[in-house]
Amino acid sequence: MALMPKRVKHRKVQRGRIKGNASRGNRVVFGEFGLQALEPGWLKAQTIEAGRIAATQYVRGEGRLYIRVFPHRSITSTPLETRMGKGKGEPEFWVATIRPGTILYELSGVSEQQAKICFARLAHKMPFKVRMVARR
Amino acid sequence: MAEIFNTKKRTETGTLRMRRLRAAGQIPAVLYGHGQTTQHLILNASEVHAALRHGKMIVKLQGDFNDEVLIKDLQWDLLGSNVLHLDLARVDAEEQIELKVHVELRGVAPGQNEGGLVTLHAHEVEIRCSPQSLPDKLQVKINELHLGQTLLAKDLPLPPGVWMLSDPELMIVSCFEPGGEQDEESAESPAEPELIGRAKRETEDEG
Repeated sequence: MALMPKRVKHRKVQRGRIKGNASRGNRVVFGEFGLQALEPGWLKAQTIEAGRIAATQYVRGEGRLYIRVFPHRSITSTPLETRMGKGKGEPEFWVATIRPGTILYELSGVSEQQAKICFARLAHKMPFKVRMVARR
Repeated sequence: MAEIFNTKKRTETGTLRMRRLRAAGQIPAVLYGHGQTTQHLILNASEVHAALRHGKMIVKLQGDFNDEVLIKDLQWDLLGSNVLHLDLARVDAEEQIELKVHVELRGVAPGQNEGGLVTLHAHEVEIRCSPQSLPDKLQVKINELHLGQTLLAKDLPLPPGVWMLSDPELMIVSCFEPGGEQDEESAESPAEPELIGRAKRETEDEG
């Protein structure tokens, strides 16, 4: 099942704007290699899950995958063929707000070559440009 | 062999001038320590990146300054691609320095073939040593690491003249069976999260 918060203060939030670069969550902390976002955007909970499945199928039993982002923000939508008005729509899905520089996933216990292949598979699922970075 | 940085004395300061400097393939730096005056200098970006790639912490300065220095601090840009600024501290051959060095695993653990997953818990350890005996990284051989075993900081083989400052009981590497992937796809998981305020208000109304 896709990730979702257990408890929230508000079911619906305003759309907001993604400004600037990531000033936290932009370093590889847990593993040796990380996948870094280069563009801003929303990352759906389903996409995070799809990436997790793609990566764990590759590193199964050898390495460990860390997910560094969590979908905290709900996105609402109104049903089709609905007349204007009647208030804000219902929450449809959950997203993580991503700024350029955010580390999305991390890998440990694998070689650089394996990490490169694994992140290439994972990058296909991402809705924005990403790159592999090493711990420094 | 220590890396060599060609240096030039820097008289300019300020954001705009430093931005132009970086665009020209140079990096601003500052040199301090040993009670001498603080100096501003210019380094070559390619030399700095080469030293960092090789994991060198002690470098020799040539040109306008001739010192042996320790790379004390690094300032990176937001994406972590380029070095913006370096802090260099003067060191003596007899001096003892304390710093963190990277831990690198070498070999293949037999525990991996027994179904274990090797996890590196501490990527860095703190050591004390003289600049001459400073290792680029601490290499840990895991050829004897079987399933269910761990290596602590006190188990690490240190080169001569190097002392461990980290907690001796600090776990460096372990080999355990990987925890089962929990499929959280259960019928009990709610479709929507619980509202924090509402639950509180309902209990107040009941009271």
